[in-house]
Amino acid sequence: MSTAWPLVDNSIENPSRRAPLITGGLDYDGVSDVVSDLAEMEKPPRIWYVLLAISATITLILGGLIGLLFLKGVGVWGNNNPVYWGWPIVNFVFWVGIGHAGTLISAILFLFRQHWRTSINRAAEAMTIFAVICAGMFPGIHIGRVWVFYWLFPIPSEHLSMWPQFRSPLLWDVFAVSTYFTVSLLFWYMGMVPDLATFRDRSKTKVRKMIYGILSLGWTGSARHWHRYESAYVILAALATPLVLSVHTIVSFDFAISIVPGWHTTIFPPYFVAGAIFSGFAMVITLLVPMRAIFNLRHVITVRHIENMNKIIMVTGLMVGTAYAIEFFIAWYSANEFEMFAFMNRSFGPYWWAYVTMFTCNVLVPQLFWFKRIRTSMVWSVIICLLVNVGMWFERFVIVMTLNRDYLPSSWAYFKPTWVDVMMLIGSFGLFFTLFLLFCRFLPVVAMSEVKGTMTFQRNMARAGGYAGDHQP
Amino acid sequence: MIHETSQTADRKPAGVLGQFETADELLHACEQARDAGIKRMDAYTPFPVHGIERAMGVPRTILPFFVLAVGLGACALGLGLQWYTNGTEQLGPLWSGYQFKISGKPYFSLPANIPVAFEVIVLSSAFAAFLGMLILNRLPMLANPLHRIPRFKRATNDRFFLMLEAGDESFDLSAAREKLAGWGATEIEDVWLDNTDHKLPAFLQTLGMLALVLLMVPPVLVYRARGMTSRETRLHVNPDMDFQVRYDPQSLGPIDNDDDPTQYLFEHQRAAFAAVPGTVARGPIDEDVEYLRGIEAEWFDQQTRVAAPAVLVSGRRQEKGRQEEGKQEEKTSEQEESQQEPGSELTGTAEAEEEAPPEPDWIQEFPSQVDVSETTLLRGQRMFNIYCSVCHGYSGDGNGLVNQRAMALTINGNAGWTTAKSLYDAETMNPEKNPVGRIYDTITNGRATMGPYATRIQPADRWAIVLYVKSLHETRRDAPHPDPNAVTQGETEN
Repeated sequence: MSTAWPLVDNSIENPSRRAPLITGGLDYDGVSDVVSDLAEMEKPPRIWYVLLAISATITLILGGLIGLLFLKGVGVWGNNNPVYWGWPIVNFVFWVGIGHAGTLISAILFLFRQHWRTSINRAAEAMTIFAVICAGMFPGIHIGRVWVFYWLFPIPSEHLSMWPQFRSPLLWDVFAVSTYFTVSLLFWYMGMVPDLATFRDRSKTKVRKMIYGILSLGWTGSARHWHRYESAYVILAALATPLVLSVHTIVSFDFAISIVPGWHTTIFPPYFVAGAIFSGFAMVITLLVPMRAIFNLRHVITVRHIENMNKIIMVTGLMVGTAYAIEFFIAWYSANEFEMFAFMNRSFGPYWWAYVTMFTCNVLVPQLFWFKRIRTSMVWSVIICLLVNVGMWFERFVIVMTLNRDYLPSSWAYFKPTWVDVMMLIGSFGLFFTLFLLFCRFLPVVAMSEVKGTMTFQRNMARAGGYAGDHQP
Repeated sequence: MIHETSQTADRKPAGVLGQFETADELLHACEQARDAGIKRMDAYTPFPVHGIERAMGVPRTILPFFVLAVGLGACALGLGLQWYTNGTEQLGPLWSGYQFKISGKPYFSLPANIPVAFEVIVLSSAFAAFLGMLILNRLPMLANPLHRIPRFKRATNDRFFLMLEAGDESFDLSAAREKLAGWGATEIEDVWLDNTDHKLPAFLQTLGMLALVLLMVPPVLVYRARGMTSRETRLHVNPDMDFQVRYDPQSLGPIDNDDDPTQYLFEHQRAAFAAVPGTVARGPIDEDVEYLRGIEAEWFDQQTRVAAPAVLVSGRRQEKGRQEEGKQEEKTSEQEESQQEPGSELTGTAEAEEEAPPEPDWIQEFPSQVDVSETTLLRGQRMFNIYCSVCHGYSGDGNGLVNQRAMALTINGNAGWTTAKSLYDAETMNPEKNPVGRIYDTITNGRATMGPYATRIQPADRWAIVLYVKSLHETRRDAPHPDPNAVTQGETEN
């Protein structure tokens, strides 16, 4: 039905006219149909099964490797003197960074009244939650004695007879990441309640009706409910905005609070946050472009949405590039020979290849987005965003590998990951994609109620007179 | 268009529901209903229609103030938690805090405690916003008469509804229908209260009760376990490093091969590898025994070559041995009143009887490192007044404040106390029997009931005290001593 409509190019800028965010002539019911399609179809497309089978297999391997880690200890990883923080922290920072785009889209763009966020915020929030799960896993299994993991939290313990050290950035991490996960989950779920009610009311079978009925908490769409709901939504957005900035700031404190040359810099918090948004948006595009193609969401997630995100990627990529340059300048300006050495070693030392990869993928490649043709091309977007993700992983790798040459030249070493390191990184992707595929199949992938609200807004704007004179008796 | 529902006598109306095609039409109907003085009504829309709460006359929600209150409370909670757990160490009502001394930083410093406080505020406020919204909306409410109306399913999809509720003062079923039709409702339907039995099925009630009882079992077991002692071995859910695969030193090692018991990990079935030849023992290797122990180096070398060096360790044991031999040594004392049990004294004597070690050759003169001068003497006086005078008194007569108090208690029978020694009895003043090396050893290792001061006074200060004690002796000599050089001797020699 909706696919019969021609794809309107809504990326054309016309100052006299607002570009439509929803194309294909969809009405309210059409939006519900398109979005609910995948969750309601008897058999999802074959590609969904193939992808799920692959990612679920990888997730099982990850589970096995975690078991191996628990049995053998952290020695199965390549972490060793002087690089005690190896791939686990690289993966942790990488995944937490990816998790930042979701809350940015749902909270910050909401506060700025960016209506185009409504088509992508649900999937981006889901991506956030799954990325934070992958992120939290790595430090969670890196604590050595995993069976006393609860010592991370301020729980009174007679066995330990002591409390966490509240001035340690590692403890701040525990609070920041767990708060971020919880608040993102609340935000995600609360935003989903009206759409779950739509699912409930559309459901044909008793089981679906029960499950979605319970999940939607008896939502009716009452105006009084909407009033308080919107108030709560604004408050959550206002809370999540400083939160999203604080989380990666605190993650950067893990490095910046230490007195290691190349880490102990004040630029880390803004630089990490920019990088997080950069990588997060890249991951959103990597997920959404195939999703809109496979699940027929082209009229809801339009070229304009992708183009807007590409613009953000370009801007944050430039910020990250500036940070790289400033870091070098400050190292030189500090006149501190250890600081200078750390940066020379980073870019021209044994890991020069990682630095080159990082710089190319993060600074040079996104410059292609200056061209509108590339910005609006789905294939180019995915290719560039995959490269950005590679680059951002290498950025964290480069930062952590600063440790390979510390103060004591006798302990200088070249870090090599083990096969467990490599498979665990791949495994985390398996976990991430498994969760995302399940989300696509069972939950509303687009915030239908918000999209519908945007459509009314669009129509009212088009009439240019507000609703006051529009009433037809 | 009015849809009539068959009405039975026992059914009660919940209200009348009108369907509208667009948000604008609904908004207009709401305004008209408000103007008609209807208070109890509600609109149902698939997305938030802006301005509808004004159109319906709904007051602003108090939710933001609720969240603000929770956020402020969370700020106090977050800072209080950190202050209590890291900034205090008093025993609290439940658990005491634990002060971490890290890099000499203050226990509580606001900048370092902001991140956690901030996260606690955000977390609590987010829960307050979400749960507050649910509570104010009376959600979850799974049973609602509206859900029984098939048409109402479109309220979450693409249609807009207005319900005039039966709770309103002016509510009348037919009048409400007419009003809705007049305001442009395309479909109108009566909504009836749900009369079905709300009681849970009997088997569910039984199951619920059973589950409740079973849920009580674990806490009761935990509470019971906490309130009693047990002789059973602790249940180890995980080993937690309580059991370690290792062999203790001086124990038998493992046998590698069961068939050939001569094959050991280390020779003679030792658990540890024997030290390789040429291994240097830990500790100072070229110890200056004259300066650090007050013993003649020659004698010491001889002893260590022929006998176990253990005899040289404790001056106290040597002293006890001497007492047993009947040499008239008066008891020195120290503030060990309560710790010194009669039993331990006896055991000590018995031990000494078995292996009475020889008295070492004490050095007769100050070692070369000690500068016998007025500066050292004044230093010695200072140290003596700090460490020794509490029992021996400032003048050395053995009447220090601790001694006076302990004696008073002993007379009342409240303590057992051996009088502090006067430094002026003949034995102590005799440089033959009590040379400087021996006085030094007394301070270092203690003597009789006096405790050792090696951990509290530096060797140089100990020698300074020895010098001061010798000078005190000189003040009480009645007649010229046969050997008057006790103090001046060192000076002349140095």
